[in-house]
Amino acid sequence: MGKWKLLVALVLAAFIIGCAQQAAKPKEEEKKAEVEPIVIGLPLPINFPDGYAPYRGAVLAAEEINAKGGINVGGVKRPIKIEVVDTRDLEPGVPISEALAAVEKLILEKKVHVLVGGPARSEAALATLDIIAKYKVPWIVSCGVLTPAFHKRIEENYDKYKYAFRLNAHAVWLAKENVDILEKLREKYGFNKVYVMVQDVEHARKFGEVIAKMLEEKGWKVVGFDRYPTGTTDFSSGLLKAKSEDADILLIQMDMPETMTLIKQWADLKVPALPIGFIRAAQEQKAWEATEGKVNYFIVSAGAFTGNAPSNATEWTMKFYNAYTKRWGTPPQGHGTSASYMAIYVVADAIERAGSLDPDKIVKALEETDMMGVFGRIRFDPKSHQVILADDPKEGAVTCWFQWQDGKRVTIYPPSIAEGEIKLPPWMLEKAKR
Amino acid sequence: MEVLLNFLIYGLVQSAFLSLVAIGFSLTYGISRLPNFAHGALYILAGFLIWNGLNVWKIGYLPSVILAIVLTALIGYSLYYGIIIRVRGMEVSEVIATFAFSFVIVELLRYFGLFGLSYTLPPFLRGSLEFAGVVLDYQRLIVIISTVALVAFLYFFTHYTKIGLAFRAIAQDEQVAMMLGIDSDKVAALSLAFGSALAALAAAIWIPVSQLASESALEILLYALVVSILGGLGSVTGVIVASLIIGYAQVFTASFIAPHYQMIVALVAIIILLLTKPSGIFGKQKELEERV
Repeated sequence: MGKWKLLVALVLAAFIIGCAQQAAKPKEEEKKAEVEPIVIGLPLPINFPDGYAPYRGAVLAAEEINAKGGINVGGVKRPIKIEVVDTRDLEPGVPISEALAAVEKLILEKKVHVLVGGPARSEAALATLDIIAKYKVPWIVSCGVLTPAFHKRIEENYDKYKYAFRLNAHAVWLAKENVDILEKLREKYGFNKVYVMVQDVEHARKFGEVIAKMLEEKGWKVVGFDRYPTGTTDFSSGLLKAKSEDADILLIQMDMPETMTLIKQWADLKVPALPIGFIRAAQEQKAWEATEGKVNYFIVSAGAFTGNAPSNATEWTMKFYNAYTKRWGTPPQGHGTSASYMAIYVVADAIERAGSLDPDKIVKALEETDMMGVFGRIRFDPKSHQVILADDPKEGAVTCWFQWQDGKRVTIYPPSIAEGEIKLPPWMLEKAKR
Repeated sequence: MEVLLNFLIYGLVQSAFLSLVAIGFSLTYGISRLPNFAHGALYILAGFLIWNGLNVWKIGYLPSVILAIVLTALIGYSLYYGIIIRVRGMEVSEVIATFAFSFVIVELLRYFGLFGLSYTLPPFLRGSLEFAGVVLDYQRLIVIISTVALVAFLYFFTHYTKIGLAFRAIAQDEQVAMMLGIDSDKVAALSLAFGSALAALAAAIWIPVSQLASESALEILLYALVVSILGGLGSVTGVIVASLIIGYAQVFTASFIAPHYQMIVALVAIIILLLTKPSGIFGKQKELEERV
């Protein structure tokens, strides 16, 4: 009997263990399903600073959120998984179809729940709107894409394009700010002559033309308008003309590497006209070393929002700046870095409020976003899905303009976050007194 | 007066720059009929090697320049024995092979993060001169002086050294030169190494006044091609004359017409030349066909 008892006990034990395993199996599967990551796709021109820097910003945000357990979706914390595909849209000669293929790859192969980042070029982003409408994937543009046509198109055809949002400034806003800074200089120093130097590409030409027109309407005199093609090796003739026309301001719109030559020649020739604009080569901290300090006094848009240069706009700003510097061994650089960092937080916040990964619910939650971030209060216009821009970080997202002052990028605009006054180079002091 | 003087001085600087970037390309083609479409990429690679020597390895400016020239020459030499020798004699294949190699270099530089707007080299000498209101920095003066010195060196090198004479022999008649015991492959490899070294030298001299970006590789190649075609492929005199024509035409356009036409000037010059004298101003390759 003892043997029989043992046998029955063993069979029973085996049965119980088997049942327990069977019972445990679905739970494990369920558990596995619960911790499946939320996939955020980044279609970015990853080989360019305007691609890899936003990528780094987004990765940093994802790491921070994951360190706290991830995004809470209906009571279950799920980690973020970042997927990136190169859009190549900033490379010369590469057709827009490459960027569109990258976006489709993220949606179809990587099965992303949300898209953040680019494509960075306006033409590519406008074309991407239709892909997003087709697949219904929430998408927050957070780098490049300065054309106002983007949010206008969403507003005009809301039902179709409602999945797209822009967490970035646009050209009209930046032009307005550029003019505002110049108006302040006119009030202070009496400056009223501007010489325009732009890169010979559509976006820079348009930018230059719009600002020149706005300035003329305000009584400024545009004493020259030069366009420079990629490959230009010498800017001396334009600088000399600006000097002979007694220009007070050099309005520069360029993102080509050759701008480095312009910066050096401006300092070497001691041109008595203060340079200001969207000057890609002067945006990053490295520009100081690269130009041996010749970038001193340049007034530069920091790549749309604040956070790319040190600032105390909000309590988030320096926290982001320092965390990025620590994580990547370099201060934030590139266009849309702080915006891409915040876009991940905005997505996390929206998914948590939606309590679901349903695209329509996420879109609705994004429309109701109201949170503070690196560059101020983040809210989207409910119709155009453009982030609400403001001069004060308490009211909306603020951009940042800084001036190079003795190796530091000092925020000089907007006034609500300014940390210093605009300074003039020594060779302009006489002119300012006049 | 100031504008005219600026045109004269900066026209000379631009001409010297064009000569510097084109001379290596033209010389390699002149000696071994080898179109090195990796010339622009080698220029950029040399720039990054110098930058690394200065900022990473911290070996000083002159050793960095010498190291970059030697390494770039070695890459040119290896390029011949590693790739070109397999397609030697088929010019289209040589163009494709060297162009592909150029992309490999540029993409590798990008892969290692060596691109963008943050790299340049410091000038050899800081400061500037001023003539009647026109400011010229010392580095641009060095560009002019170096170009003149380089042309003089090349003249003596090709006329008075054994290897230079071998270069000329192969350039004049490859088969006869081979009969006299000159190894055609060795000379071709050396000519490619020599052209690559000249690309590195151009990078060392010019980048301090411009920028170091892998995106510029194609522009440098385009300048080298334009000047070499206009001057006549393989002719050093042609390179100098073509550089002066294009350099002054570009600065004239930028100074007196509009800067955005300055790149078109060079391309228009090529079209005019191809319609009238396809072999270039001092070119000899197609003279027979032209006569026929």
